[in-house]
Amino acid sequence: MNKRFLKNSLLSAVALILTGFSFLNGQPSVKSDAIDVTDKMPVYGHWRNFTMKDGLPSDHVYCVRIDGDRVLAGTHDGLAVYENGKWKAYTTKDGLPHNGVVSIDVSETTGDVWLGTLGGLSRWSGGKFENFTQLNSGMPNDLVYCVICDGKDVWVATAGGAGHYDTSTRQWEIFTEKNAPMHEPWTYGVSAGDGKIFIAAWGGGVIEYTKKTKQFKDYTDPDGEMEIDLLPDDGIVHDITTATTWGAGYLWASTYFGLSSYDGTHWKGYFKEHCGLASNFINFVRAEGPVVFICSDNGLSSTNGKSWITYKKNDNDSNGKAIISNFSRDDDKTAYKTTREIPMSPSIAHNFVIGVDADKDVLWVATEKGVSRGELMK
Amino acid sequence: MKISTIVIRLSGIILVLALLIYFPGRKWARAHVNEKTATTDHPLLCTSCHLYIQKTGLIANLVNARYMSPINLTVSGDGKRLYVVAQESNALLIVDSESKKVINKIGVGNQPHSVILSKDGQKAYVSNQWSDNVFVIDLSAGRVTDTLKTGNGPAGLALSADGKALYVVNSFSSDVTVIDLQSKEEINRITAGNNPTGAKLSPDGKFLFVTSRRTVNVPYGEPLSSELTVINDSSRRISEYRKIESAYMMENVAFTPNGDLGFVTLIRPKNYVPSIQVEQGWMMTHGFGVFQPGKGGSVNELLIDEPNSFYSDPFGIAITPDGKKAFISSAGTDYITVIDIDSVRALINGSTPEVRKLYSNNLGISSRYIIKRIHTGSNPKGIALSPDGKLLYVAEMLDDNIGVISTESLQKVSSIDLGGPRRITVARKGRRLFNNSSHTFQNQYCCYTCHPDMHEDGLVYNMSGKDMGRNVTNTMSLRDISETAPFKWSGTNLTVYKQDGMRFSTFLTRTESFSYKDLDALTSYILTGIKNPPNLQYNPNGELTEAQLRGKKIFERTKDSYGNEIPEANRCITCHTPPYYTNSKMSYVQTLAATDDSILFDTPHLNDIYASAPYLHDGRAATLEEIWTKYGKNDKHGVINDMTKIQLNDLIEYLKSLRSPQYEYEDLKKNHAKN
Repeated sequence: MNKRFLKNSLLSAVALILTGFSFLNGQPSVKSDAIDVTDKMPVYGHWRNFTMKDGLPSDHVYCVRIDGDRVLAGTHDGLAVYENGKWKAYTTKDGLPHNGVVSIDVSETTGDVWLGTLGGLSRWSGGKFENFTQLNSGMPNDLVYCVICDGKDVWVATAGGAGHYDTSTRQWEIFTEKNAPMHEPWTYGVSAGDGKIFIAAWGGGVIEYTKKTKQFKDYTDPDGEMEIDLLPDDGIVHDITTATTWGAGYLWASTYFGLSSYDGTHWKGYFKEHCGLASNFINFVRAEGPVVFICSDNGLSSTNGKSWITYKKNDNDSNGKAIISNFSRDDDKTAYKTTREIPMSPSIAHNFVIGVDADKDVLWVATEKGVSRGELMK
Repeated sequence: MKISTIVIRLSGIILVLALLIYFPGRKWARAHVNEKTATTDHPLLCTSCHLYIQKTGLIANLVNARYMSPINLTVSGDGKRLYVVAQESNALLIVDSESKKVINKIGVGNQPHSVILSKDGQKAYVSNQWSDNVFVIDLSAGRVTDTLKTGNGPAGLALSADGKALYVVNSFSSDVTVIDLQSKEEINRITAGNNPTGAKLSPDGKFLFVTSRRTVNVPYGEPLSSELTVINDSSRRISEYRKIESAYMMENVAFTPNGDLGFVTLIRPKNYVPSIQVEQGWMMTHGFGVFQPGKGGSVNELLIDEPNSFYSDPFGIAITPDGKKAFISSAGTDYITVIDIDSVRALINGSTPEVRKLYSNNLGISSRYIIKRIHTGSNPKGIALSPDGKLLYVAEMLDDNIGVISTESLQKVSSIDLGGPRRITVARKGRRLFNNSSHTFQNQYCCYTCHPDMHEDGLVYNMSGKDMGRNVTNTMSLRDISETAPFKWSGTNLTVYKQDGMRFSTFLTRTESFSYKDLDALTSYILTGIKNPPNLQYNPNGELTEAQLRGKKIFERTKDSYGNEIPEANRCITCHTPPYYTNSKMSYVQTLAATDDSILFDTPHLNDIYASAPYLHDGRAATLEEIWTKYGKNDKHGVINDMTKIQLNDLIEYLKSLRSPQYEYEDLKKNHAKN
């Protein structure tokens, strides 16, 4: 038994004590008479799933974005556009820089569609793909994991750093470990809110960039532990972040080890072990106002920080359920309570969820086996 | 001694002295002129260099003059007033169309381009291409009341259907600024085609069409195309980029009154074939595109040229209110071409798409729809019809006149003198030559055709021989080149006299070479009259950004990132020496292609390099980045492999900031005065 093992064991023990042995509570009991927490949380159902049979270029769908009357889905084999009840695919033959489309955003001002692909960034507008690569532009790297539009700026998170392209001046500014507090240049996500940009940096937690001052601030896991969150709510739950999103005054950061929220003063951690989260392995998050959608390897969850709805597909058939629960750790330290489960037939296409977008009354979900469309249940 | 004897002896002495001076003096003068002109045949005229190519000082002021150079115009709703953009005088001229007099001259910004009127006719909007703004002019007060900030190089203008928004086509930054006329703020910036210029709202008020002059960047040998940008007026978003194949230099756009057809002026370049093809009528063809405005509508191209006679550099286009006739100005040949639109419609409707493709190259077909050619003054540019459609006004740019043409008799009926200098300077004569195709075989093109706005057209040409695809060269800018000899990528021409002398006619124009007087005039214009625009996008006031300052350090560095000394010959600043960023020497940066003869290349000047894509001698680098990321991997074109992407970006930001010394001096002066 080496010293490192002893240290880790000790830290783990301390963590268990501090968290009130919440991990040890086992499976929660179903309490149908518990507080109805769904009054502020939208529940989606009447799922319709789309796969290659319906015209998608691939069943592996990385991302989805609602753009007015149409829906854009990034797949392993091209961009798919759902319009007037039909899917149309676009690939490198049409001008895409790479068929692997992993991120999509739409400029609110110009309506231009920006596509993050595994081979560069593309502006899709008026039927034309204008491609930006690390060779022909100031782009940091061609592996574009995330793209967002923020006014006239287009931000990217890439395998070689993050950066932004000013569509008015056509200038790039990029950030790596050389000029920003990043552990390494690998970045997975980027989001904007409150005059700030939040970069999900692999191994570097969340990098906050204030646009006005051009100053950086980084948020890393204070305990530095890889396997556990030693001290609850002491900071972001893990340094390996996969996405960030901002909504209703909260920053949300996903990791492969849990979810974090930050209100500008306090961090809060969320784990499947003591809330309604589907899994701690989170691929992506997107906030729509006070509600955040969490894409995990074992279903889709949504929460407003207190109430949770998790959508899961059954292992053996196309049906599934929505698990509705509340979680108010501040006033109830014991456990979460499941209020009820709503059967869904069919359910979302697959439990490995990697992208999501919501509009007023529809929810689109990108999964390992197709894209799903849910309707707001009244 | 008799007086007569004295006179004879004195005369003899003078004669001897004169002969003693004349022969060696002439020999010296010959050597001097040969050296200065890099030719052996230029006449021994002191004026060629000592008067005509002086850029500053007393002589320059005496020799040169400032003209009006009208470029665009519009007519008031009642037809009584013409509003003329005098580009060289930085003014808007208000002309009484009845008395044919200029009644007011309102100073505007730098290098104004276009003018339109507000819906109520009370205001004029003037785009100032070199000031990055639009002036709002109260026409009743006759003064500028507002300045609207735009993107880089504002040119064409259009109002939204409701008159509440102004579209400004930013020709340098290749986008369209949408300005809310109430708040006077830019509310949107829409990406347009490459080097956009003209703009017009479709008659149904639904879509704005924006032309572009440069092509979409494609590798050498691939088919060219340009884009017509279509913007939805209600959403203020892109509707489509309509591809116009094998064409470029789309200057302006017009519609039939019922909106069934749109017309754009265009040029169809044949830059991939050796320029010797000019003899076969195949170097440049000029015409117009006819398109259905609806989304995905057809686009057809027809020529205004005819066998043995070309009508180069189409610019303005106007269609009569009855929709029967279209007028196109050919700036390079001083003609207005009149097109019968019904004949065009019949030709298109009566042919298959395959046949129409053939028409687009057919010089013989134009007689089926062209009903008249009307001769104009020098360099006809913008045109505008009177509200009743009976008169066509033509901005005769290099005559300082407005030509007036009757659209019924199809004859020029009068001319309006805009009051420019009467004297035609040598440089002005040179500008006329520069813009006129009469010196090229069958009038196929002029200097301006490949050097629009005296810059470059972004195309790669096969000019140096008859072999297809060998020694292809990227067109170089002619702006501010007086201190950047030698010329051509091969550096074979040490002077403009040589560049545009005998060799020019041998390789390019395939006609008689310029007379020496004309050559002097052309040289005078090229060396004194062509400026770089201010670099307002990347270096508006001489204060470099942080990134540009970092890039400057990299540009001037002597050691690489690891502390190793960079050999002097491989430092950026060694070959690209300020203020023109060329050492005027030949060099080898390992960019020679298999299709090139084994030569060295002239070190190009770098001021305003941001505006000169593509890059390298054969245009293989689509962007500045590609010079190194794709074609400079071996560290022979400066040391680059030690850099991070951030450093390369910094270097490029610095390169984009480079501008003519004139602006550096002006800003230094300003700062000095401030301090």
